[in-house]
Amino acid sequence: MEKTEHKKGFTIPIGPQHPALKEPGHFRITVDGEIVTDVDVRLGYAHRGIEKAAEARSWVQNLYLFERVCGICSHIHAMAYCLGVERLAGVEAPPRAQAIRVLVAELERIHSHLLWLGVAAHEAGFDTLFMYSWRDRETIMDVLERFSGNRVNYSANILGGVKYDLDDEFVQFMCEGLDYLETRSEYYLEVVTTDAMFLQRTQNIGVMTRSQAELLGTVGPTARASNVHRDIRYEAPYSAYKQFPISIVLDQRGDLEARFVVRIKELFESYRLIRRILEELPEGDLAARMPRKIAEGETVSRVEAPRGELFYFIKSNGSDTPERVRVRTPTICNMMSVVKLAIGHQLADVPMILAGIDPCFSCNDRMFRVHLDQSVYANVGPLKG
Amino acid sequence: MRTTEEILYIAEELAAGWAWDTSTTKPEPNRLDVFVKYLEDLVPIAVGLRVQGLGYLAAITGLDHGPEADILEALYHFCTGKVVVTLRVNLPRRSPVVPTMTNIIPGAEAFERELSEMFGVEIDGLEHPSHLYLPDDMPVDLYPLRKDVHVQDIVARLKV
Repeated sequence: MEKTEHKKGFTIPIGPQHPALKEPGHFRITVDGEIVTDVDVRLGYAHRGIEKAAEARSWVQNLYLFERVCGICSHIHAMAYCLGVERLAGVEAPPRAQAIRVLVAELERIHSHLLWLGVAAHEAGFDTLFMYSWRDRETIMDVLERFSGNRVNYSANILGGVKYDLDDEFVQFMCEGLDYLETRSEYYLEVVTTDAMFLQRTQNIGVMTRSQAELLGTVGPTARASNVHRDIRYEAPYSAYKQFPISIVLDQRGDLEARFVVRIKELFESYRLIRRILEELPEGDLAARMPRKIAEGETVSRVEAPRGELFYFIKSNGSDTPERVRVRTPTICNMMSVVKLAIGHQLADVPMILAGIDPCFSCNDRMFRVHLDQSVYANVGPLKG
Repeated sequence: MRTTEEILYIAEELAAGWAWDTSTTKPEPNRLDVFVKYLEDLVPIAVGLRVQGLGYLAAITGLDHGPEADILEALYHFCTGKVVVTLRVNLPRRSPVVPTMTNIIPGAEAFERELSEMFGVEIDGLEHPSHLYLPDDMPVDLYPLRKDVHVQDIVARLKV
């Protein structure tokens, strides 16, 4: 914050309320006329101290804690945690449980990508697409609700397996929903690649070359839109992705349009994978027995969240609580790319570039929680500089 | 695409075959932990990993081994395919300093700022060492993820 003082140009503070999404983040954007010359980011407004809190809770309690890191990708956080803890304990979830985990992860990806499509379209001023995609997203929300009873915190995982099974009635309901969404996704792909007004907001905006994307350490669809082969489901298959492989979706161009195309094409890949899992769903138990205390050791658990690689480092000291759980979410990797990419663009493009990485601030900000009412107070204290 | 064995072999050769003082272990089939003895070797080894195409820094993890052990540990996780190569350095708990990686890996800035504010590790050479997540009025000597800092301490010190 101090550094902007001696920079030429005019500094515009944006946030903490609503720079692009309905989540808090603070950006200091230095402009020369309309052109951005510097971006400084400040996070932590949704910081809840989850990593610290995890050290005082049992392995089972932590499952529910990590599910609540993020409201959009609750399942994948729990899945990363479960896979890590199961590896430490030397327990493997039964094949049916693994398949159901992956199935829910793909349902979650569909709901997250559709949510993002709406938000990004809204940032471009294309509110019709926003309303359409959010309307269609309700289809997948209904599927998730029918499956687990909840729209966002499905809580499908338990240590050692899953809680819920699939029945014929649900499968029928889900397949109808997927058929509908597939036709809708085809339409969206056509819209984002042909609508002239929309293309003016996306084509050649926020271009990131492959080497830039690699250097900045971007992950997920943001990296894949710049032709970086980085998808954990593909390069290090975990859980049921070993039996049900996915094909990686890439794009050469690296601009905002490519990020739209990659995410929408990933939807088709998710539909295909879910149908394939349903065809070959293994029979058997839903959960294996887990010990209360987890053997001493360290492990790294990497999974592909809707926004990119989610990284968990888990250390156990042999007791019933973890010694340390480190959560590295995809948004923090991609956030650095926003800071670098926005420079040289029009100020009006910044919200689109930010929305282009599909930022999730709640994922980003973890770790330090006092009490909800108090920490909000503490974090929104007067800014210096 | 290189296989897991090939990547592990390259990383192991790099750590063992050069003039750097390191020891390695394989805690899991896909992981290689490189214990770096001297702090000044840290960045050159990271350069070596980058040259070999293993330079995607996925995360930096801080570990506090507690006041009795008097050791903090910084773990630099480099991921390629299934392989996770972790560079580990031990730091004295009283005045921990690590050199910045941002000159070779710009994306390391966020991880380093987080390590700095959560564990009190000074990052030598970091251009913007200000807080990333924590509030500006956080007491300077209070590092939330250290083992001897309790949530009650933080509440008391923040005066909220």
